[in-house]
Amino acid sequence: MNEQDARAAVYAAIGQVAPDVDTDDLDENARLRQDLELDSLDFLRLIETIAQATGVDTPARDYPRVATVKGLVGYVQAHG
Amino acid sequence: MRGSSRAPAAPRAPSPRVMTPAVAAERAAGLRRAVGALMARSKKSIPHYYLSTTLDLRAALAWMEQVNAGRPVAERLVPAALLLKACALAARAVPEVNGFYTDGAFRPSAAVHLGVAVSLRQGGLVAPAIHDADTLSLDVLMAQLRDLVGRARAGRLARAEMADPTITVTNLGDLGVESVFGVIYPPQVALVGLGRVVEQPWAHNGLLGVRPAVTATLSADHRVSDGLRGSRFLAQVEELLQAPEEL
Repeated sequence: MNEQDARAAVYAAIGQVAPDVDTDDLDENARLRQDLELDSLDFLRLIETIAQATGVDTPARDYPRVATVKGLVGYVQAHG
Repeated sequence: MRGSSRAPAAPRAPSPRVMTPAVAAERAAGLRRAVGALMARSKKSIPHYYLSTTLDLRAALAWMEQVNAGRPVAERLVPAALLLKACALAARAVPEVNGFYTDGAFRPSAAVHLGVAVSLRQGGLVAPAIHDADTLSLDVLMAQLRDLVGRARAGRLARAEMADPTITVTNLGDLGVESVFGVIYPPQVALVGLGRVVEQPWAHNGLLGVRPAVTATLSADHRVSDGLRGSRFLAQVEELLQAPEEL
């Protein structure tokens, strides 16, 4: 998957799980938990939404690699 | 106990309306007032005491990771599900923390309706119940937790869910702090606070190792129990987490 599509899928999923986050003005270094304030259930819903949209499944052992917006976009790009 | 007329006056579930910024702000302000009034009543009427202990999560998390490895995202567990189940079982074993104090007397509850404090993204807090949490399998409890938190955040809770928890758990640690000492929701008589899962140095049998751990606290009502029974509750939670496959 190209970076643009990966980014679009990640942003759309963030918009669904955390509608108050302004994805037009998102710092990609933002950490999902500490900065976007996603709790463990939000995070699960986020990667589930991405899996449904892109087919990219994030196994639990890869959670540390997708802790930031940038990390998540890169992961979806690499595996999609 | 469910739907009983003795049920507490919990903050009302936010109503599902079109969420303009003005409506969201009004809803958050209303919730804040309701939470404030309830907590003021709690602090005025309930003689709280507080206990804290560190739970060793090595066995629980190792088991959970193994279970999650073979599952699609939708069926994976989070540590909170294991902790909530352990709290529900411990509440059944220590009845002095599970029930309502009304009209000058404590009425223990045979059922464990586990209130789960859910913070709302636009501000405010609700604590709906997972009914009969002590009897649910981990997978069912996990599914109900996801459903409950999702609906709480969407403003779609039923009134009964808001009204009848017999004990409440706050899992604030999920987003950062190591420990939380909560305020009891009257007329309940105990509140469990779970902190963040952290890696800690751990001395065991004269050896030093590193283990995932979480600080669990209990705020309880001195009119109903004392530190000894409260300690029993936290000790039960710890013990249950050492055999996660039996949760």
